[in-house]
Amino acid sequence: MTEKAIEKQASEEEETVPFFPVQLMREVRVSFGLLAVVVLVGALWRVFALELGEPADPMVTPAHTKPEWYFLALYQVLKFVPKTAGAVIPVVLVGLLFALPFIDGKPDASRRPTRIRFAVTAVLAVVVVAMTIWGGM
Amino acid sequence: MQQSRRRAPRFRMAAVAVALALLATAAMLPGSPVARGDQPIPDGHPPFDAARLAVPVEQAPGGAARPAPVVAPESQQDPCLHCHISGENTGITTEPMRWALAAAAGMVFAFGMFQSATVWRTRRPWTPLTARAVGWLDERYTFTEPLSKLLGKPVPKFAMRWWYCLGGITAFLFGVQAVTGIMLAFYYRPTPEEAYQSILYIQEQVRFGGAVRTIHQWSANGMIVMAIAHMARTFIVGAYKRPRELNWVSGALLLLLTLVFGFTGYLLPWDQRAYWATTVGTEIGGAIPIIGDLTLVMLRVGWDVTAATLSRFYALHVIILPVATLAAMGAHFLMVRRLGIARPL
Repeated sequence: MTEKAIEKQASEEEETVPFFPVQLMREVRVSFGLLAVVVLVGALWRVFALELGEPADPMVTPAHTKPEWYFLALYQVLKFVPKTAGAVIPVVLVGLLFALPFIDGKPDASRRPTRIRFAVTAVLAVVVVAMTIWGGM
Repeated sequence: MQQSRRRAPRFRMAAVAVALALLATAAMLPGSPVARGDQPIPDGHPPFDAARLAVPVEQAPGGAARPAPVVAPESQQDPCLHCHISGENTGITTEPMRWALAAAAGMVFAFGMFQSATVWRTRRPWTPLTARAVGWLDERYTFTEPLSKLLGKPVPKFAMRWWYCLGGITAFLFGVQAVTGIMLAFYYRPTPEEAYQSILYIQEQVRFGGAVRTIHQWSANGMIVMAIAHMARTFIVGAYKRPRELNWVSGALLLLLTLVFGFTGYLLPWDQRAYWATTVGTEIGGAIPIIGDLTLVMLRVGWDVTAATLSRFYALHVIILPVATLAAMGAHFLMVRRLGIARPL
């Protein structure tokens, strides 16, 4: 790479755009797109409506109880571990989530950690999605 | 040039106002399409008569009772319950609409006259109302300078990639949740006897009720997906590192609040699935060592899922969580502003 090209790249990296109107207009455009989706869901609500079951009856336990989809992965884990462990696991996970920047807070020196984190995220995503689908079956 | 601008009063505005006023007058005349709503629509449904539903039995001459051919009874159900409740079938909206139209036309007319008169009297070009309002407020609160500083803040170009949008999308969906949630709260009743019925009422009778409820459900799901995606992006680019630790912590808090939103909201329809999912979910909380029983009792308000649980979840869902989320969002956004967007390597 010639010196000129390096310089050009450096200057490009430093380039900024003003928040108003460039960034703000982009946010507005994204918001309008989302609003269109939301209105579409509303217009076709008979298609999208999630079913409302029978009224609650504390005397009748249904055969299958399912939580919301975002708890399905956790619910699936609970089927295979003792109850106490199942209750402690989410608490520990939330604790770890909050503590992450204090466990690993040193700014990166190279691109390598980014790639590692990408791989970790990808693996985690696959595992969680698989557990969610399994739990939903 | 300057001369001609000074001398020209704004006749256009006044002309439009006159046209609107004429239109409004025409609309108010009897027989116009707007005025037609005056007459109450006659209620075509006969009063309920239980005897009509019974299948009549004909007495045969021989004495043996022979059931008459079954005729489907006339529908007793009101096809538009909310029309009666909100008084729409009596033309209740016609008069206010007429007044609003006339008042709007009158205001436009008065404003046009005032504008023309002012320009003619002062011989100065007209200052737009927005500029006047901004000037008036700025004199008292001096907000234009900090605002322009806020708006002029440079944003690095790398932040224009689409995956830097995810947090904003989450915030937008939170706004959708707030609006639709307030709409639902107008009709929802958080008691075991009425919760399910009020949901049915919202879906089937309230205008756009089904649409609003469906939007509320789907944006909730979308919000969780987008929050998790935003978190994954932050994790991958390493934007949680020093000095942005508290930014990550506030974000994690927001995700947790969103999940609690979902958990508490799931109970509110009070159907079988909601009831038993809450029972199982709170049971898991009850299995935590040492604080388990306390958690269970605090969540359920007692040892079982009852009316008290529903009340508590409702209060959490519509008061405590929104306030907490707004506070955490404020902190989150402020920190992004202060520290800027992390530069990826």
